Amino acid sequence: MASAQLALNDVSIGFGDGVLLSKVNLSVMPGECVVLVGPSGKGKTVLLKLFAGLLKPTLGQVQIEDKDLNQLAPHEQKQLLLKMGMLFQKNALFDSLSVGENIAFPLREKTKLSEAEIQERVVYFLEQVGIGHARLLYPDEISGGMQKRLGIARALALKPQIVLYDDPTAGLDPITSRLIVDLILRLRAENKSTVIAVTNDMVRAYQMADRIAMVVDGEIVITGNKAQTLAHQDPRVVQFVRGQLHGPLTESQ
Amino acid sequence: MTATLSDFFVYSTRTFKALFQPPFRSKDTFQQLEFVTWQSLPVIVFCVSFAAMVTIMESSFHMKLMVQNDSLVPGFASLLILRELGVVVSSLLLTSRVGAGLAAEVGSMQVTEQVDALRMLGIDPIRFLVIPRLIACTVGGVILSLIANLVCLYCAMLISELKLGYSSGSFLTGMRAFVSYKDLVFAMIKGGCFGTVIPIVSCFFGLRCESGAEGVGKATTNSVVVASVAIIVMDFVLTYIFSHFY
Repeated sequence: MASAQLALNDVSIGFGDGVLLSKVNLSVMPGECVVLVGPSGKGKTVLLKLFAGLLKPTLGQVQIEDKDLNQLAPHEQKQLLLKMGMLFQKNALFDSLSVGENIAFPLREKTKLSEAEIQERVVYFLEQVGIGHARLLYPDEISGGMQKRLGIARALALKPQIVLYDDPTAGLDPITSRLIVDLILRLRAENKSTVIAVTNDMVRAYQMADRIAMVVDGEIVITGNKAQTLAHQDPRVVQFVRGQLHGPLTESQ
Repeated sequence: MTATLSDFFVYSTRTFKALFQPPFRSKDTFQQLEFVTWQSLPVIVFCVSFAAMVTIMESSFHMKLMVQNDSLVPGFASLLILRELGVVVSSLLLTSRVGAGLAAEVGSMQVTEQVDALRMLGIDPIRFLVIPRLIACTVGGVILSLIANLVCLYCAMLISELKLGYSSGSFLTGMRAFVSYKDLVFAMIKGGCFGTVIPIVSCFFGLRCESGAEGVGKATTNSVVVASVAIIVMDFVLTYIFSHFY
């Protein structure tokens, strides 16, 4: 049996005096797409940032390709993280750079490609995400949906094996959301990449996920694929996926 | 407070180490130097000119009041301008213009996750954001202190000729009796030191910025206040040290 490409082993993390996640475990197999869902502020983005090395756990191990991320030397950690791309919740586009330059930036910084090759790749990625016409514009001159597409293109610029998407459809209309998720799935199939995505949009979660995991009350509840999630017995999962007003999630607030 | 000081110490140590580690981003550094020096020059020249004119007029008024003679004004005023006024006023202006701008810029990058995006690409934000600004502000501080002092002296000479009736020659003679080239060199050293403090403090608060417009505002305010206080305290320390060399 193949080993997990990404894994959390008994990971705990908290901020201040509070504990956000307590001894959570999660394994993601190569090529798999795991979607994290759950109420806001319960640690979904924190989980992505743990995988991305942007946060360190208080306890436990974050493993990438069987290596403990936080025990590696800084240069080894950087090399490992270059296998990852991330779409941030707020896109994190460099607003002083044009659309094309946002994609060229990681290529200039982290590859030895010639300028002509970089420009070729910029054009390729912009065409892939359907915003080739906006190459010379700046991020604040394009729509929210185009910014998401640009964020995705930049996350994929270094051809990462693992892609983390933090709420890729947040603030988008249903049609644009659908287009973005279709794009994510197409690029995932083309690049054969492993994907972890965070969303609260259950329709998109079902569309994307091989497995769904719910982050709630400091733990991760693996609910399985769409059918298994819909049939799940945990009352918190039932309330969340059905969007019910009354139940354990709202009682605890 | 202790935690903040400890964080600042760790951050400053990392910054000074990073100063000597490649890659050296010369293009970014020159862009920042242009922003710090060239773009700050008009406001600094304008403000220090008036500060110099006020200094010479006030000195003359009080000397006449106390000793009924203002013949020492050119010398005393020149000394005050070269040792303190030119460099301190220009550095405080640089703090409010460049320091506030840096804190807001880096703070906005922090809250919009651009700093995290840099980290994801294996780029150290200190090397990428802080070092070019640190070099630019240090060099800019030296250049601006030199220009500010020369402009101050010229304005002082102009006002003493127009208002107090001293010719340029007598102003320069009076000045030479009190000041030496050491004063100008020490002023430039002070300018460089103050220029170093501004980006270090501003980027520290920017990188610690909490989310939201309020967080960016707070980081900007804190950076200007702390950098201004640091400049005034550092001015005292440097003046004390330099007093041993006169």
